[in-house]
Amino acid sequence: MTSLATPVSIQGDRPRRLWRNRLFTLAMLLCMLVAFGTLAVLLVDTLITGWPAISSQLLTGLPSTVPAEAGARPAILATLYLGLVVLLFSVPIGVMTAIYLEEYANRERWWNRAIEVNIQNLAAVPAIVYGILGLAFIVRGIGVGRVVLAGGLILTLVVLPTVVVSSREAIRSVPDSIRQGAFALGATKWQVVWRQVLPASIPGIATGSILALSRAVGETAPLIMVGAITYVAFNPTLFGPYTALPVQIYNWTKQPDTDFQTLAAAGAIVLLVIVLSMNAVAIFLRNRYRKQW
Amino acid sequence: MEARRIDSGKIAEVSHGLERTEVERREKVFSVTDLSVAYSGNVALEGVNLDVHKQTVTAFIGPSGCGKSTFIRCFNRMNDLVPSARVSGTVLYHGEDLYARDVDSVEIRRRIGMVFQKPNPFPKSIYDNIAFGPRVLSMEGSLDERVEQALRRAALWDEVKDRLKDGALGLSGGQQQRLCIARALAVEPDVILMDEPASALDPISTTRIEDLMHELKRDYTIIIVTHNMQQAARVADMTAFFSVIVDEDGGGRRGVLVEYDSTTKIFTTPSDKRTEDYVTGRFG
Amino acid sequence: MRVEFQGELDALEAGFQETGEIVLRSIRAVADALRTQDVELCDEVIAFDDEIDDRYHGLEKQIELVLARQTPVAGDLRLVLALLHSGLHVERMGDQCVTIAKLTKLSAHLDTKQTVIESLVDMGERCEEMVRVSLDAFAARDVETARGLHGLDDLVDRANRQVFGEVLGYVHNPEALEWGMRQITVARCFERIGDNAVDIGEQTAFLVTGEFAEFTDASH
Repeated sequence: MTSLATPVSIQGDRPRRLWRNRLFTLAMLLCMLVAFGTLAVLLVDTLITGWPAISSQLLTGLPSTVPAEAGARPAILATLYLGLVVLLFSVPIGVMTAIYLEEYANRERWWNRAIEVNIQNLAAVPAIVYGILGLAFIVRGIGVGRVVLAGGLILTLVVLPTVVVSSREAIRSVPDSIRQGAFALGATKWQVVWRQVLPASIPGIATGSILALSRAVGETAPLIMVGAITYVAFNPTLFGPYTALPVQIYNWTKQPDTDFQTLAAAGAIVLLVIVLSMNAVAIFLRNRYRKQW
Repeated sequence: MEARRIDSGKIAEVSHGLERTEVERREKVFSVTDLSVAYSGNVALEGVNLDVHKQTVTAFIGPSGCGKSTFIRCFNRMNDLVPSARVSGTVLYHGEDLYARDVDSVEIRRRIGMVFQKPNPFPKSIYDNIAFGPRVLSMEGSLDERVEQALRRAALWDEVKDRLKDGALGLSGGQQQRLCIARALAVEPDVILMDEPASALDPISTTRIEDLMHELKRDYTIIIVTHNMQQAARVADMTAFFSVIVDEDGGGRRGVLVEYDSTTKIFTTPSDKRTEDYVTGRFG
Repeated sequence: MRVEFQGELDALEAGFQETGEIVLRSIRAVADALRTQDVELCDEVIAFDDEIDDRYHGLEKQIELVLARQTPVAGDLRLVLALLHSGLHVERMGDQCVTIAKLTKLSAHLDTKQTVIESLVDMGERCEEMVRVSLDAFAARDVETARGLHGLDDLVDRANRQVFGEVLGYVHNPEALEWGMRQITVARCFERIGDNAVDIGEQTAFLVTGEFAEFTDASH
């Protein structure tokens, strides 16, 4: 115990702790620089490479063996169609699954716990595995063939676990007091879910779905597996052959002509724009509807 | 200090809270016999017997862990929502067994409403909050009228009548709680259960809620759980004191009903020493 | 806000004032009974004291309930305590009236001396006035008026001493002495009524200021 006569100095004089603190901050900054720096370099490189090829021809034209005349319209359209199919299938199925798991499933039953564990596993399965499965069961098994619908369904499978997980988070974040209040008024379980829980979790679900969608739009491997044909010179339809933008980019990179490399980079820019705008929408939604409970 | 004009005609009007004989003359709304509640085998509340009478305010008081919140949730079967809860014994509501097999828990919850400790307005507009109950129950009649009536009865109408479409979460704590009361009133209940309705509120909001209880008592039967003894003394006609018994061997804690009598008796001459110790603040 | 509670307080005070009115009537009655030596009136006053006692016990019980259930503080608490004390003073006044009535009955068969009777009736009227003033001051929360009771009490005390002096003169007349001794006690009762009225005035001051102070000190 210090006596009252000798006051303890409030000047900090613990240099070692201070230095360790600074060192740690420095290390973190360095890591961040590496991560973002790499990303920035990649983006800038792509931008510089592909910029010359950005033109309305790229967006509206058909593919061609002549780089100057080549366009990616069919690929862009197909990517958008695929996105639509993924949206239409993954959201309802994913949300319903999430509702079941969060609101109805009895946690003590073993099968529900098994499902819980395996949702996470499914999200980790490499996309190409879905491609193989899709080829066997959807393209050939059901016999739909190498069409946009099949591609869309396979991509749905790829992102479904992500949609389920993010929807669960959104549903879980609705406070239990809301449910209690609704039950106490005489609502049935379904009314509570449909009229209170779901509306309150829509922002979270929307955000998660859009993020999943933007991932699906960028998938290449499974689409190659199920036959996104390399050369498509017509507008795709739901039940017709197609190619997607990532595949188109891949094909262009395989061409020896350097002009095609430029085109590929340009295509990558387009794809980036599509994906980043979707993400921006998701972030906007999340911030706009962030709830204060 | 201002001079007081005393109207001697008012003497007879005011009640100090009903006396027990007056209460027991009224129709029984609930009749509880040997009620016990256990969670996953651990008994939380044991062997409760009491009657609740019409158009009275009944308060449940006691230390934390004595099971009073568990008990009040037996009256509207909210314990059904907890999978590990087991209720045994009988609860009669107007003579009918509340826990009978063919009982519709939706109808029960319409007739026996509940207000919770922390105000829980839905993240919707004020109007939609009140309208939720009538809508899910498909109640007939003008929704606008129901909403207005409910808000008037909860003494909230004047404050919100110009902003019914605004979000309910923008109201103050006291207003939110009155909104929750209005929400419960909108489905035309018979009984209102209040689980520590004012414990999250400031003193002025608390007084408003207590005044509201005095008014509502004319038309509804009210049961309130409160950890604030003085609140029970101010608002309740009958008070039930619950306490905790600790099992010497197992160390398990069970809640039991110690004394149930008119509030006047509980706070002037309680029969049980445990009650006296609790209300005088000498409880362990 | 706290409508029920305010109503209870109002009811308590109204009950107190009503009992005060009844005691006022008793004081007037015994003063009249003294003047006219009316034995029946004395009986009425005696019988009526039961009502006063019941009302006091009712007030006491209600105050117990208000304290237990409403936990009044600050001004409300002072009001409740002031009502409790003042109610007791009013009840005592009632008892004094009963004593006066009984004494009047007892000495009704004896000859009266007009001067003494006049002094006593005068005391009675002053007491009535003091009680009236004390009740009104309480209702109006008027401390100034309440303090003025001290002055009125002096007049009552003076009349008391006058009666005493008169009766001393009857020492040679046994019958008159017997009558006179009784009247001394009657005067004493009136003087006590006056003191009780001053006490109610002190309660008014306590109610308003929060401090209790005797208006006179005991050495007076």
